[in-house]
Amino acid sequence: MENKGLKEKYIELNMGPQHPSTHGVLRLKLLLDGETVKNVEPVIGYLHRNAEKICELDFYCDALIYFDRMDYVGAMNMEVGYLEAAEKLLNIEPPERVVWIRTVMAELNRLASHLVWAGAFGLDLGMLTPFFYVFEQREKILDLFTEICGSRQETNYMSIGGVYQDFNDKIIYKIKEFTKQFPKKLDEVYNLLAKNDIFISRTKNVGILEPEVALDYGVTGPMLRASGVPYDVRKAEPYLAYDRVNFDIPISKGKDVLARFVVRFEEMRQSVKIINQAIDKIPDGPYFNPKARKSLMLRLRGEGDVYARTESPKGEFGVYLVGDGSVKPYRVHVRSPSFKNLSILPYLSKDVLIADMVAISGSIDLVFGEVDR
Amino acid sequence: MNLLLRISSILSVFGHYPSFILAYIIETLMVIIFATVVVAGMVYLFRKYMARVQMRVGPNRVGKAGILQVMADGLKLIQKESIMPEGRDDLAYKVAPVLIFFGLIMGFIFIPYGPLAWFGQLTVSHSDVSLIIIFALIAIMPIGEILSGISSNNKYAVLGALRGVAKDISFEVPMMLSILAVVMMASVKVSNPLDINGVVVAQSIPFAILEPLGFFVFLISMAARASYSPFDMGESDSELVTGNTTEYTGLRFGLFYLGLFGTIFLGSMLISTIYLGGYYGPYTNYAGFIWLLIKTVVLVVISLTIWLSMPRVRIDKFVTFGWKYLLPISFINLIITGILIFGGIA
Amino acid sequence: MAYEVKEENSKDGRKVLRISKESLLELMGDIKGSGYDSLSLISTVDFRDRIEVVYHLTNSRTEEMLAIKSETRDSRMPSVTSLFESANWDEREQYDMMGIIFEGHPDLKRILLPEGWVGYPLRKDYDLSKVQYVNMDDEGNDRVSFDPGDGW
Repeated sequence: MENKGLKEKYIELNMGPQHPSTHGVLRLKLLLDGETVKNVEPVIGYLHRNAEKICELDFYCDALIYFDRMDYVGAMNMEVGYLEAAEKLLNIEPPERVVWIRTVMAELNRLASHLVWAGAFGLDLGMLTPFFYVFEQREKILDLFTEICGSRQETNYMSIGGVYQDFNDKIIYKIKEFTKQFPKKLDEVYNLLAKNDIFISRTKNVGILEPEVALDYGVTGPMLRASGVPYDVRKAEPYLAYDRVNFDIPISKGKDVLARFVVRFEEMRQSVKIINQAIDKIPDGPYFNPKARKSLMLRLRGEGDVYARTESPKGEFGVYLVGDGSVKPYRVHVRSPSFKNLSILPYLSKDVLIADMVAISGSIDLVFGEVDR
Repeated sequence: MNLLLRISSILSVFGHYPSFILAYIIETLMVIIFATVVVAGMVYLFRKYMARVQMRVGPNRVGKAGILQVMADGLKLIQKESIMPEGRDDLAYKVAPVLIFFGLIMGFIFIPYGPLAWFGQLTVSHSDVSLIIIFALIAIMPIGEILSGISSNNKYAVLGALRGVAKDISFEVPMMLSILAVVMMASVKVSNPLDINGVVVAQSIPFAILEPLGFFVFLISMAARASYSPFDMGESDSELVTGNTTEYTGLRFGLFYLGLFGTIFLGSMLISTIYLGGYYGPYTNYAGFIWLLIKTVVLVVISLTIWLSMPRVRIDKFVTFGWKYLLPISFINLIITGILIFGGIA
Repeated sequence: MAYEVKEENSKDGRKVLRISKESLLELMGDIKGSGYDSLSLISTVDFRDRIEVVYHLTNSRTEEMLAIKSETRDSRMPSVTSLFESANWDEREQYDMMGIIFEGHPDLKRILLPEGWVGYPLRKDYDLSKVQYVNMDDEGNDRVSFDPGDGW
C-alpha cells in the first residue's frame, strides 16, 4: 500500500476546488496533524474572468452585467454599488422614485443572499433540512424579481439614472404580501438551527475574531459587526434612501461563528423593516433620468475618479471608477468584500479541527464570482 | 411449529439431513431477500419522508408514486462502472463493502422474528449465546469501514476511517455494558439470558421501563453505529467529501448505501427486541412478527426524524460524550440493575 | 512633518492626500496613528507613463474615508503590509494585475492568475489578442502556454 501522507508527520490535503463545502471553487491547501489544521493556504482564481478589464473595453452602461455576475446571489447590491460610482462620475441624478425602488430591490436581494447563506451554512454543519426552508422563501423573492425584471438572479435591472421596469400596484401588493409572511418563516428557520444544542456547540467560541484583527485584515460586513464594530456603510455614508428609513445595525459581542449567524438573521429582520417602510414611501414620478435615456446611454462621458462604497450582503462593496473623458471607463476597480473576508481564513483556522474550519469558512459567506471577479 | 421444521417436512422426500440443510439454505435466502426488500422499502420511505419534511415531492417518476425508484437506482448502480483507484490495496478495497453487507445480513439471521400465523416461529438460527453472536457479527461492519478507508489511497477516506475508529471505541463499551445489564435482568426470569430469544421472553415488562438509562445508552449507540446525522462524522459530506466511501462507485457504493439503511433498520429491530419486548404484544402467537415490525418502523421513523433535524456533532465532542457521559451512565445503570435484582424488585 | 503632502478633494467630495512614494510609508504610519485603522482598498491606475496607486482608508470610529494617492514610474512601490495586514492580498492582486512590485511584501506572488502567466492584464499595453492556455503539471502546479492543444 502506498500512501505518502501517512509516512510523514503532517498530512497535506487539497480541499477543493471541487469539494462540497467550499461554496464554489475555493481550493484550500491544508496541512493536517491528524484532525487538527496546522496551516491553511487558500488558492483562489478558478472563477477569474477579469471583469475589470472587460468593463474597460465597454461602455459605462455595459459594465452592469459584469457586476451582476460578481456576487451572483446578491446581484442587485452589486448593481447599486456600481451605479453609485458611475452616477457620481457621470453627473446623473436618479429620480426620487428610482432611489426608493432601488432601496426595496437591494434589501430584497440582501434577504435572498442571507437566506442562501443560512441554508449553505446549515449544510456545512451537516444539516440538510433548513436549506429547503430558506430556499422556499428565496424562491418567493426570485419570483418577485422575475415578475419585475424578467430574470431571477442576474437581473440586470438597474441602469444608469434609472431602472428598466417601473413598479406597479400589483408588484407592491405582492412585496407586501411577502414581507407579511416572511418574519414568521424566518423565526422557524432560526429556531430550527439556533435552538439546537449541537448547533450551539458547533458554533459557540469557534473562530473567535477580535475587532482589532478584523479591522487590520479589512474584514467588513456581518463578520465585522459580529465582532462588535458597528460599521455599516448604510449608516456611515448613507446612499440610496437609507438615511430616510428607520433601522438598526445589529451587532454582537460574541465574536464567534454563532455571533455571525445571529447578526445575519437580525439583519434580515431589519431588512424586512426597511422594505416595509420604503415600499410605502415610493413617490410618483419618472423611473429613469431623461439625461440617460436609451438613445443617449452610449454617449455618457465622465472624467475624474470616484470611489463609492455600499453595503453589500457580504460587506463593504467598493467601486473605484476612473474616467478619462471618453465613453468608456478608464479603470474600474472593485473592492469585493468576500475577497477581504476570505483573507482572514488562514488566521482564524490555525490549530482548529477540520470540522471547525468548515464552520468558519461557512460563516464567512463566500461567493466566488465576487472573490475571483 | 417452527418455520424451519415446516420447510424441512415439506422437503422430507430428500431425506432427513439434506432436507434440514436445504431448509436452512432456503430460510437464509428468505432472510436475505427480506433484508433487501426491507432496506429498499426503507430507502423509499426515507426519501418520501425526507421530501415531506423538506417540503419537496420526492421520487415520483418511476412507477406509481415513485415506488420503483429504488429499484431503478439499484439497476443504475449495478450498471455503473466500479472505478478502481490507483494505488489501492486491491483485496481490502474489494472485501470492504462485502464485509459490511455480510455483517448486516448475518445480523438479520439471528433476530427472533417471533411467530406469524400459519408460518410459526420465523427465527432462522437458534443458539444459546445468540446475543453475543449478533453483536460480534455487527462488529464486523466497522472493520469493513476501516478497511475501505485505509485501502482506497485517499486522504479523505483515511481521515474518515480514523473518525470511524474514534467513534466506535467511544460508544461500543457503554453499549456492551448496557447489554450486560439486560442479560443480568433477563437471568432472573429465564435460564438462557444470553439467547436473544430468552431476552424477549423475559420481558413481561419491557426493559425500556426497567432500565431507562440503559435504553438511552443503547439508543444512542445504535444511532452512532448506523452513523446517520448527528453521528455521521465518518462520512461527513461537508468536511471529508464522503469519508471512507469517497472512492467507491457503482455496485460497491450501493453496498455501502445498503449498509447504512440496513443498519438503521437492524438497529431499530434490535432496540425493539431487547428493550421494547420484541414480538410481544396482543395475540403474540399469531401476530408476533407484525408487532416487531410495527415497533421497528416506529423507531425507524424516529431515527429518520433525528437524522433530518440535527447538525453533525464534532468528533472530539462525541468522544468526550462517550467516555464522560455514556460510560458512567451505563455503569450507573448496571448498579441500579444489581440493586433491583438483589432487592427482589424485578 | 518631514514629508510633503498635497491635499485636494476628489470628485465625490472625499479628502485626497497626494504623496511621493518615498514618504508613503511614513505618512501611512501617521495616518494609522490618527485613527484610520482599516485599509479598505489598494487600487492602481495605469496612465501609460506612470502608474497611480490609490489607498483608501477607513476610520472605524468616525467611519470617514480618506484616499492617499501616490505614483510610480518604475513599477515599484513600498509595501504597507507591515502596517496593515489587509494589504497582503491587495498588493498581491495589484502585482498580479498591474505588475507592481511591492518591496517588502512577505509573499509576493500571483493570486488570481496562475503562476507563469505572461503579462499583466490590467495594463493598457496588455496584448488581448494572445490567448494563453492553462494546464496542470504532475505536481499540481499550474502551467501556462500559448499552445491551444495544451490546456484550456
